[in-house]
Amino acid sequence: MNNDLLARYTDRYTERLRPLAERLQTYVSECLKGLPRVDRITARAKTPESFAKKAAKRTSDGRPKYSDPLLELQDLVGVRVIVFYSGDVESAVDRIRRYLVPIEHRRVVPDSHWAFGYAGLHMILAVPEDVITDEGSRPELPDFFELQIKTLFQHAWSEANHDLGYKPVEELAPEQQRRLAFAAAQAWGADREFKELQAELQA
Amino acid sequence: MPISRIHSYLVYPSKNEESQPTPSGTEVEDSKLHRMLTTLYDSADRECDIPIIFRHDEDGRQQNPCRELIVAYVQKPTIDRGRRLAERLQSVSTHRSGLGLLFLIVGHDGSDHRLVLSRFPADSGVIAEENAGRLSVDFIEKVFMKNVKAYKSALYAHGSLDAGFWKGFAVDRQISGPHEMSEYWIGDFLQSDLRTTAAAGTKRLATAIVGAIRSTDSPTLKSELIAAVQLLRNQTGRRSARRFLERLGISDRAFAAIERGYSRGALLDEPFQIDADELGRHAAYRAVELDNGGMLLAEEPRFEDVFKRESLNAERVRFSTEGRIVDESLRKTK
Repeated sequence: MNNDLLARYTDRYTERLRPLAERLQTYVSECLKGLPRVDRITARAKTPESFAKKAAKRTSDGRPKYSDPLLELQDLVGVRVIVFYSGDVESAVDRIRRYLVPIEHRRVVPDSHWAFGYAGLHMILAVPEDVITDEGSRPELPDFFELQIKTLFQHAWSEANHDLGYKPVEELAPEQQRRLAFAAAQAWGADREFKELQAELQA
Repeated sequence: MPISRIHSYLVYPSKNEESQPTPSGTEVEDSKLHRMLTTLYDSADRECDIPIIFRHDEDGRQQNPCRELIVAYVQKPTIDRGRRLAERLQSVSTHRSGLGLLFLIVGHDGSDHRLVLSRFPADSGVIAEENAGRLSVDFIEKVFMKNVKAYKSALYAHGSLDAGFWKGFAVDRQISGPHEMSEYWIGDFLQSDLRTTAAAGTKRLATAIVGAIRSTDSPTLKSELIAAVQLLRNQTGRRSARRFLERLGISDRAFAAIERGYSRGALLDEPFQIDADELGRHAAYRAVELDNGGMLLAEEPRFEDVFKRESLNAERVRFSTEGRIVDESLRKTK
């Protein structure tokens, strides 16, 4: 990636994206106001280092994955919502969809039913007009942002996984891969138990 | 904003028809019609003022069949690629929509690709021609643009064909209000939704009104704004906040106070439907009337703080409150 692009992104990150992330955090918090069992709502703009890494990605045949990363990356700004139980994820999704229109809505799960790993709900949403305070800044603002909704246990696993190196799982020793999958399975099991307990206790 | 191509197609109403005719298409060359369509293209930013967004597919993926046809056409604007859009429009056109003429106008605005799609309905008329002192008149059924202000249009512009062209702007000049939209054009043909949902538009308006109520010291203005909240509950149809407020006949002063609550004036012109539940969430006022003629009114979340309530027996209650009088007036009722 050329230095000019990184310099442009760094300026944009400071001047536009970080303030936008703060406004989006407020906006999403207002949308979810009153919804029970929302543990926290955070937002971040992708750091210049992280942008550089993603912008430089290549396809399997060696070509640059993005011809214009500033226009094409849809997660330059991200908002994360952490809820208590897995049943609360759908409640949060329903509430979000009352206010915002997604162009993507997917449940991220491991590829195989036999595997355990990262899980969460991801949406790509149009940046609401309410958070665009200055019409002149629009060309430097992204059209979309990413919203992740996870349970406490999904979040805990992915944070620990990130902290332990955030390497492609193939680079780990087989025993290490099994231990990570074991921890993910425990998080999955804990979510399931709490969801069922909640249903029983509220019945 | 130079135009690179204009194509036109005759679109028959063929929704639910087993046999779909192939829409005839042609390129519009330099002509009086081309100049007229250039005006349409140039004014699309102003005319198409309703933000729309393509829907994702049933599996939640970033895939939309109409967007794919649009992107393919903009990449290479040929008659055949444009015809696929005409076929799509034809497959959702009912007899009520009738025969139409679709124009696809593609060009550039700086580094942005730009496409304007417009559909004009068919009309009938009489053609009169003079030839060597003789007048001939005839009735014709396929007349288009008899009223150049009656059309449906959509505008898409973006620098990236891969990542962009998800958001656009639309207008429907064939129905009553400037901000009304037909489901046929937005939902069925473009497979899109309005970007401002009922809840989002209502929340924006309610928040602005509540902000205006809280920030004014004028009891008269406060009363007018509270009354506006009550009246908005019964408003139907899809309109902009400006149009809703105009319909309520609020004063210029009240309008200006609400306008200050919008981060940008343009947001007042985005159409949405009033969501009464959402209005209640953000701008709720609780009114209690007692059998002795007393009436109490306060913001719902603060009502219990403003009025202390004591139960005297199963039926009777006593409310008490304390504060500085900011307004006291005698009002007549009809």
